[in-house]
Amino acid sequence: MPPAIETERLVKEYGDLRALDEVSLRVEDGEFFGLLGPNGAGKTTFISILVGLVRLSGGSARVFGHDVVDDYREARDAIGIAPQEFNVDRFFPIEEVLMHKAGYHGITHDEAKERAHEVLKTVGIYEKREQRFDWLSGGMKRRLLLARALVTDPDLLILDEPTAGVDVELRHDLWEIVSDLNANGTTVLLTTHYIEEAERLCDRVAILDHGEVVTVESPEDLMDRGTDTIYVTLEADLDAPPALDGYAIDAWIDAGRLAVQVDDGGAVAPRLLRDLSDGGHEVVDLEIARTSLEDIFVDLTERSGGIS
Amino acid sequence: MWSIGGRALFKREVQRFVRRPKNTFMPPAITNVLYFAVFGIVLGGRIDEIAGFPYVLFILPGLIVLGAVSNAFENAAFSIFHGRWNEYIDEPLTSPLSYTEIVAAYVGASALRGLLVGVIIGAVGRIFTPIGIKHAAVLAVTMVIVCVLFAGLGLIGGLYARDFDDLTVMNQFILRPLVFFGAVFYSLDVLPSTWRTVSLLNPMVYMVDTIRYGLLGYSDLTPTVSVGVLLGATVAVLALDIWLVKRGVGLTD
Repeated sequence: MPPAIETERLVKEYGDLRALDEVSLRVEDGEFFGLLGPNGAGKTTFISILVGLVRLSGGSARVFGHDVVDDYREARDAIGIAPQEFNVDRFFPIEEVLMHKAGYHGITHDEAKERAHEVLKTVGIYEKREQRFDWLSGGMKRRLLLARALVTDPDLLILDEPTAGVDVELRHDLWEIVSDLNANGTTVLLTTHYIEEAERLCDRVAILDHGEVVTVESPEDLMDRGTDTIYVTLEADLDAPPALDGYAIDAWIDAGRLAVQVDDGGAVAPRLLRDLSDGGHEVVDLEIARTSLEDIFVDLTERSGGIS
Repeated sequence: MWSIGGRALFKREVQRFVRRPKNTFMPPAITNVLYFAVFGIVLGGRIDEIAGFPYVLFILPGLIVLGAVSNAFENAAFSIFHGRWNEYIDEPLTSPLSYTEIVAAYVGASALRGLLVGVIIGAVGRIFTPIGIKHAAVLAVTMVIVCVLFAGLGLIGGLYARDFDDLTVMNQFILRPLVFFGAVFYSLDVLPSTWRTVSLLNPMVYMVDTIRYGLLGYSDLTPTVSVGVLLGATVAVLALDIWLVKRGVGLTD
């Protein structure tokens, strides 16, 4: 089975601006893949190329082995996309909007109606099926975008910031729906600003910044790249950190506490306590703070010159 | 043959204007009732016959063409531009429709609206003046060709428009002058020879003349030549439509 998405040195230029700079990514069939990055990193440009809303300037992109330019019909048929912006036909009731979309994918009228009802029930707005898009609440609109992406029963579901600006309940509903879909074999490509979302849902994440791939890893591996900070409260305040050679990456005094940055806080803590005791310091309290995925994300994008 | 997807887009486009008759079919019907009332009843008796036809009868084919092509153009231009404006044109664009199918759906539906408006105007005209059909085949073929031609032009307008004002400008400054200098309200024979020659550059002249031939049996030009010119123009415009959509002009970044 070819990969769900495979890009090779994908480039998109807008005049002098290089929005995507030789992006090579591979998303396996059935994977839940996250695309993280600050605003303007090129996430939406990347997915827009896959569905034909943006023309690539160089390189290549394939969806399940179908080139998005040469075999665009096969590639687009495999994709269901829920975009960030509301781009829904306002003329028709939402039930018909979904039927139209299914129709464009070659699904007959009766089956399209059946599927429209099914996905409206899945996202919880079936009772609104005869209303037009403009009359829906913000959360319902977001649900409709997901329903439209699902009505063609896609092999690849692309979600561009699906939970941006939605309440906690809806966010959890959407997470549950897409997790179930992924468990049943649908490949999911998710772009998000919410690190927690990527950490919770994704098998792997790619961090994109300034149109370049900074890294592709599982959230767990990314977390392993982070450091821990051990905060130690001593009976007597220190003016300066003691020498902790061999394991401390850095050490400093933070609000009266000794702060020691290490690779693995759990493994190092006993040795640190012993060294402090040997140095005549009485330890009152100890706390290990793990670096969050968000911290790692910020660190990686700052290092690549992303967030200022 | 046309796929299910292409038919689905065509059907959506047709439903869009069929479900809003107050916006699509009522205005041309009312406008033409006014035309016929003024030119047929108020002024008609004071204007000499043209080529042996009462004035209202002479201008009726032109009014049918005017209404048909205006609606075909406007429908395609508005539908494409409105879809771009609200970005819901992404729905068909992200679907497995061929570029030819997309053009066929938008142009076909818009041409259908033009044809229906033409029939409505003809029916309204029939109330005011006795009109028959002299050459049904020529009339039908020409109506289809001109509606497709202007739907195709409307699609180009919809792709290039940057705002709703642009659509108005296209109608007021391009379409309307072509119509008024297109021998709708006069015969080409009344023009000096230079202006008659210049008029032949206006596609509207061929359209009005051929429709007039189909309805009244009278023409200033040779109908087969006119149909040939219009058919050639239509094929060229459709080819341009498909090329523009394939290139993503106005549709993709």
